[in-house]
Amino acid sequence: MSQPIIQAKNLDFYFKDFKALDQVNINVPQGSIYGFLGPNGAGKTTTIRILLDLFRASTGEISVFGKSLKTDRDEILGRVGALIENPSIYKHLSGRQNLEVVRRMAGVGKRRIDDVLEIVRLKDNADKKVKNYSLGMCQRLGLASALLTDPDLLILDEPTNGLDPSGIIEMRELIKTLNKDHDKTIFLSSHLLSEIEKVATDVAIIDQGKILYEGKLEGLKSGNDIQELRIELNDSTKALALIQGMNFTISDSNTHYIELPIESREDIARINKALVEEGIDIYQLKTSSENLESVFLNLTNRLDQ
Amino acid sequence: MNLATQITHGISAEIYKYKRTFTFWLIVIAPAFIPIINFLILWRRGSDIIPEGRNAWEGLMSLSLNPANFLFPFFIIMIALLVNNIEYNANTWKLIYSQTLSRFTVYTSKMKVFVLMLFISLMLFATFTILVGFSMRFANPGLGFEESFDFSLIYALYLKTFLCTLGMASIQFWISQHWKNLILPLGVGIGGVISFLIVSQGWKYAIYHPYGYHILGTGGLTPENPSIWANMDHVYYSLGVALAMFTLAGIEQTRKRII
Repeated sequence: MSQPIIQAKNLDFYFKDFKALDQVNINVPQGSIYGFLGPNGAGKTTTIRILLDLFRASTGEISVFGKSLKTDRDEILGRVGALIENPSIYKHLSGRQNLEVVRRMAGVGKRRIDDVLEIVRLKDNADKKVKNYSLGMCQRLGLASALLTDPDLLILDEPTNGLDPSGIIEMRELIKTLNKDHDKTIFLSSHLLSEIEKVATDVAIIDQGKILYEGKLEGLKSGNDIQELRIELNDSTKALALIQGMNFTISDSNTHYIELPIESREDIARINKALVEEGIDIYQLKTSSENLESVFLNLTNRLDQ
Repeated sequence: MNLATQITHGISAEIYKYKRTFTFWLIVIAPAFIPIINFLILWRRGSDIIPEGRNAWEGLMSLSLNPANFLFPFFIIMIALLVNNIEYNANTWKLIYSQTLSRFTVYTSKMKVFVLMLFISLMLFATFTILVGFSMRFANPGLGFEESFDFSLIYALYLKTFLCTLGMASIQFWISQHWKNLILPLGVGIGGVISFLIVSQGWKYAIYHPYGYHILGTGGLTPENPSIWANMDHVYYSLGVALAMFTLAGIEQTRKRII
């Protein structure tokens, strides 16, 4: 696999005494739509602000495009377009004039403004004052301004927040188009699982400042990532030796049960077979409820409340 | 991009965003306020204000300087608020600080445009003042404005005012940048102006009060002694404060968490 576009290692971040990020690791593959999922207050926006050098992590390292954010900040930000939380827009200016402010900072050609207006389908309303824009139009304008420098990487923080259903669909289509037709890697944060599911190729789940899962979206759904197996049986001493002999690590045990981490369903079958062959009575085989799919589901429940 | 190009980009973007704003009009119209009043006074009652035998241009200069010295600090307070509040209002600190320009560049651009705004306003004020004098040649002839005058003196006077107020401008700029609050910079500014007026009644350290450098620095000018640059103390104090405060504000901005 090629080097990830964003690689963040062991990020810690504090708001005074509150630990907002706890050893956050992120690897965003090139060409992906990377869904960054978590409930409100989980640390999504904080992570994004750190990636854009708006906040600085207490510890940890970030490289983007293989370069260190610390030493090559300006160059990196020149290749990144960002839309963070509520849109940054000067309301007394028109859409086009807002883009002109950013264009002047970025030093790109004037023609680019028409190009990005075309991409986000705002051309007809470009000369209206932003005061009169709907929220969806504001979000699209924010996206247009993120696209001005023709960046390789787009960082979008809750781009569908506050949009009506048709606005959400439009934004989703736009994200897909940018990824497919314009070859942008997209880092997309959301608290809506359904949103991430519809567009993302890769996903990370963050909660309370910790990354709970990172990987392919399919990996999360397949249910192969059972973490813990609990075996209830009659002779745990004999079973312990046997299981350890099969190169498993025991996480907990007493006279009538054993708990151990496993990697796949096949492990359950193997262990079961070995135990039965040794004449050990098994009363119950139970996979832990804390597997990743349920983390995902638990999170969904919390988010839906 | 080298630093010079970066700063050119930064300044050009910074200036552009004031298009059609109150700030823009304030810079152009506020300097006309005192000249318009002076025009009316000289037009209706010019002979009372400028006694016979006195140089009319010098009369106009002192007629303009006192109200300007009083009002200009409030203008500075407002401009410092407006140039920072435009970003707070539009949620754009995070936008401008996540561009390819370095934080130092973005800060410097804003600071320079702020200083430039103050300078332009004072130079407009000098120009409007001169125009009032010229207009009297037609509106109220005989006051003495027909005589020639060294206009560079007027520009020099307001250049000195500009230099002497940079100190307090830097303080107001920092406060307005640091706090989103509108009232605080206003309060500190007004407090600064008033406290100077109080301590200047007799406290010997009043000469170090940054909100009064311009009054002290331009106060001793008389027709007999029109040398504007004779006493440079307050210019140096002011530039010293400005250097310190603009540097501190810059360091803060390069390290700060941008919300």
